[in-house]
Amino acid sequence: MFIEYTWLVPLIPMLCFLIIGLVGRKTPEKGGYIAIAGALLSFIIAALIAYEYLTGDAYPNPVTEQIAWFQIGDITLNLGYYVDGLTCMMMLFSSFISTLIFVYSIGYMGDQGPRKTRYYAEVSLFLTGMLGLIVSSNFLEMFIFWEVMGLCSYLLIGFWSFRHPEGDAASANAASAAKKAFLVTRLGDVCLMAGLFVLLGEFHSLHSLDYVTLFDPSSIAAADPEMLSLGMLLVFGGVIGKSAQFPLHDWLPDAMAGPTTVSSLIHAATMVKAGVYLTARAYPLFIQNADVMLFVGIIGGVTAFIAATMALNNMNIKKVLAYSTISQLGYMILALGAGGYLVALGMDMGGAEGSALVAAGVAGYTAGCFHMMNHAFFKALLFMCSGSVIHAVGTEDMREMGGLHKHMKITSITMLLGSLSIAGFPLFSGFWSKDLVLEIAMEAGSDGTVWFTVLWILAVITAFMTAFYMFRMWFMTFMGEEGHASQHCHGESPKTMTVPLMILSVFAVLSGFFIMFGLDAMVSFNVTDTAFIVGGGHSEGFYYFEELFTNPYTYLTIVLALLGIGIAYLMYVKKTVDPGRFNRNGESWLYKALSKRWWFPDMYNQISWKFGYGIAKGVNYVDRQVIDGTVNGLSGAVVGGGDAVSKMQTGHVQDYSSVILLGVAILSVAMVAIAMFFGGM
Amino acid sequence: MEMPILSLLLLLPLIGAVLTLLMGGERQKYAKIVAGVFSAITLVVALFVMFSNDFGSFDESCAWIETSFITINYSLHVDGLSILMVFLTALLTLLVVVFSSEEKDRPKYFHALVMAMEVGLMGVYLAADYFLFYVMWEITLIPMYFMISWYGGPRRHYAAIKFLIYTHVASLVMLIGIFAMGFMTMEMTGVMDFSFAAINTLMPQTSEMFQIAVFALLFFGFMVKMPSFPFHTWLPDAHTEAPTGGSVLLAGVMLKMGSYGIIRVCLECFPEGAEYWQWVIIAIGLISIVYGAYACIAQTDLKKMVAFSSISHMGMVMLGIGCLSDIGITFAIFQMFAHGLITAVLFMVCGMTGHIVGTREIPLLGGLAGKLPIYATFMMIGFMASLGLPGLVGFWGEFPLVYGFYEFAVSNDMLWLILFCLLSLMLTAGYYLWAMQRTLFGPETTKIDLSHVHDVSKPEFVALAVLVVLIALFGVWPDAALQFIDPYVDGLILGVF
Repeated sequence: MFIEYTWLVPLIPMLCFLIIGLVGRKTPEKGGYIAIAGALLSFIIAALIAYEYLTGDAYPNPVTEQIAWFQIGDITLNLGYYVDGLTCMMMLFSSFISTLIFVYSIGYMGDQGPRKTRYYAEVSLFLTGMLGLIVSSNFLEMFIFWEVMGLCSYLLIGFWSFRHPEGDAASANAASAAKKAFLVTRLGDVCLMAGLFVLLGEFHSLHSLDYVTLFDPSSIAAADPEMLSLGMLLVFGGVIGKSAQFPLHDWLPDAMAGPTTVSSLIHAATMVKAGVYLTARAYPLFIQNADVMLFVGIIGGVTAFIAATMALNNMNIKKVLAYSTISQLGYMILALGAGGYLVALGMDMGGAEGSALVAAGVAGYTAGCFHMMNHAFFKALLFMCSGSVIHAVGTEDMREMGGLHKHMKITSITMLLGSLSIAGFPLFSGFWSKDLVLEIAMEAGSDGTVWFTVLWILAVITAFMTAFYMFRMWFMTFMGEEGHASQHCHGESPKTMTVPLMILSVFAVLSGFFIMFGLDAMVSFNVTDTAFIVGGGHSEGFYYFEELFTNPYTYLTIVLALLGIGIAYLMYVKKTVDPGRFNRNGESWLYKALSKRWWFPDMYNQISWKFGYGIAKGVNYVDRQVIDGTVNGLSGAVVGGGDAVSKMQTGHVQDYSSVILLGVAILSVAMVAIAMFFGGM
Repeated sequence: MEMPILSLLLLLPLIGAVLTLLMGGERQKYAKIVAGVFSAITLVVALFVMFSNDFGSFDESCAWIETSFITINYSLHVDGLSILMVFLTALLTLLVVVFSSEEKDRPKYFHALVMAMEVGLMGVYLAADYFLFYVMWEITLIPMYFMISWYGGPRRHYAAIKFLIYTHVASLVMLIGIFAMGFMTMEMTGVMDFSFAAINTLMPQTSEMFQIAVFALLFFGFMVKMPSFPFHTWLPDAHTEAPTGGSVLLAGVMLKMGSYGIIRVCLECFPEGAEYWQWVIIAIGLISIVYGAYACIAQTDLKKMVAFSSISHMGMVMLGIGCLSDIGITFAIFQMFAHGLITAVLFMVCGMTGHIVGTREIPLLGGLAGKLPIYATFMMIGFMASLGLPGLVGFWGEFPLVYGFYEFAVSNDMLWLILFCLLSLMLTAGYYLWAMQRTLFGPETTKIDLSHVHDVSKPEFVALAVLVVLIALFGVWPDAALQFIDPYVDGLILGVF
């Protein structure tokens, strides 16, 4: 009875957006309460839907319903919803975390005055985009919400693009960050759009883009495999843009120019999760080709590694978190790629051996989705903690912080829990999912191709780096001597900010255990001859516990994580190890490469400058000088020619008579010539 | 008795124009009210036509010149292709009158010219006789010429004369094509008949050579109007100098005369010619799209940038037509409509920049969003709609159209051609976002004095708000426009291709 109302889940935030936009100014907290109420209501409905679906008869088959919207040629476009295990999980954590972020915003954005209206309207629309994307029943509907989110991220990253509290440079910075975010993701979106063209073309005979039709093995079999692979690679281009994967990852650190709550929303509940979600959603199409999945895995693994390196020496508390997000997103994509690779191999192979590979591969799907959820909890927590710190000390530079633990105990402890979780400290939520990711990468390496072994090594090094840079951040902020910003600390943040932190920290610590209580069933991927189904395959008891703790490599990563924390402790609290010894006080080329972000921003600039503005200048020159010049030249010639001819009208009879004489002479010569020619004389 | 409803659509603005002209001296300030009332009634009539279910019942025809060897009729006709353009004309005329209600400089002439424009435009879209069509086509030039040369910017005389001569030369070429069609009917039936009904049924039966030649003549005339590369250079100049209201009408409905003509005349009459020239049409479309988009990036004048973006977006229309397929033509027509709505917003906003801030030069602007939030909001919506944000009308003119082209490219094994479209989508986002960053965001500019700027005035707000609502409405409910287009294109494809 609730599932029929799934469309309400995105619609409620949409209505909030309209209400806040139109009359939000007049409501208390400038629309903040409306936004919270909307997000909470969406969460409650989502919870009821999930409960009804998961306990209902239809489970694990997807429940979908749609109405015809309009037609493109003979293709009918539908509007509808599509509920399965993945939808349920995504809806729940997105709306839940958004609710907490909105509550937190009441405190964090409290001093923004009338501009809060704009803020709450935009975050509501942002949530609409994410929830709409999650419940969409076809690719085109998904794409619309996908772009709506792109717009909202543009607006919110640029929230301080004029009248930034810190002055002009900061607002110019926000304006350019917003532009960069939109354009870089737009590049991905254009790829995605092209991917949709290919899908539309390949599935033309089905007359729709509905998930339920496209994911049917019989319709997949009818499509041309090569074109399908091309289409999925292009769709993955959209994922690369949206989920900030290498080489389009560079917009995300810049996006830190927005308010911290927005970063938290982008990184945890919305936006970057959309790409991972799309990969998981379109899994039945992705796994048709092992090479596509290998590409996905490589992108994920490289992203995880590269982003982690850039976090190592960054001094900005938010940017460290931004790189960690990119790195963790790389993990998710790696898991999906590695698992999908095995599934694709297995489906090609067939037989008992093939089914074994498929059974091993689907664990990658679960690991990727599971990590997505856990990451949402701890990353929302970490960002909100950093927001709380920034709110209190008024700077984002960690060198000016330090010793904040005694000023803000709640923030400090909750952030410690979040850091332990992301670092993969045993039994914390990040530990479970990250180690499942590593395990599937290794399995794809041993059963599939050696590429995944390389990626596994990168991922293990990344785990070490993650532990190091997270604790470097925590120690620099909360431990050690007080920096000069710490001395002006306002003390602990208000209740509206700390209560969400505490709630989230509970999840950041414990959400890993969800997988033993049914979450693995919700996000398991099942391959049968007749269907690809998300949901159903629940492993009994402490399967994952055994699985991880009997794997020797798990202990390797635990040791590496502890080692990372330990080195950070020695460097930044004990100060017995001088970081300057490793980077030659910032002189080593590696240190410079990292602080230059591996020259990615320069590369982006060069490309857009040369291929955009450079060509544009040329085109404009051609337009004004050559094409318009020809037009003006022609008209000039006509006018000039007229002038020249008019000069012949001298008015002297002698001139005219001599011209006549000349004419007569020419004519008579011509006539004689013609007469001779035709007369045959 | 039968009301000549379609004639009303011509007569009402004509009466309005004459009455507005009479508002001399003291009564000058009522000119806008007269113009407003008449254009509002015209809009109501247009809506009435739009929502009646039977377009055929509105046909009017009476002999104008009839001898034993020549027939010229005064005949009007409306169908799925023209109704959206008629609606757009009536709507934009009213909105221009509202938007320009604070025009201080000789308002009676300004509003009379706007109403006269409406007569010509309505005539082009409603005419069902080539003679009438050509007369109306030429009539639109005259008010626009005066609009630019009386109310324009510093180089207005150059721009106005360039506009007049350039497009007039093109229509002369078109006139040759029309005569060729007329003489052909004489050869085939013994009577020189200029009516659409006669010519559009007879022409598809002519020889391929004839079709190819006459298609080219007519196509040239129409493509200059659209305008397409390389015959587009009159447009940026005309737009830069034209007053805001003139630009809105010029870009919003006048450019569509070109693409309307291509579909109505070239495609309906010369299917074989169209197939012969198909690759040329595609090439012109593709070049216009990418060329226009690149040119936009280099512009420093906001209005000139929007003018070049029109070239790019009308190139999209050309591309859709060039596919000669159901999807392509359907969404080419949709794109004409969508571009009409969006570009009106863009020109209103950019024109406003000139008169509230004092300059449209992007390097001099900056941080306007802080002082002018409503202006900034409208600009942002307009730009977002124009770059094809889903949920707004521009997306539906773009996504399905490019898909139509994708199908064409695949069936010809030229998949790489789609890259041009994708490149232009990227560039479009690029120049709009860059322009917004430099105009609206960042620190407030110090290069010009911003102490006296005022945000959007009431009439301007109303005009913009109406357009924005329509952009969103057709964006979430494209069927509202497609229901008119679909039957027409189905008929066209069935009958001709």
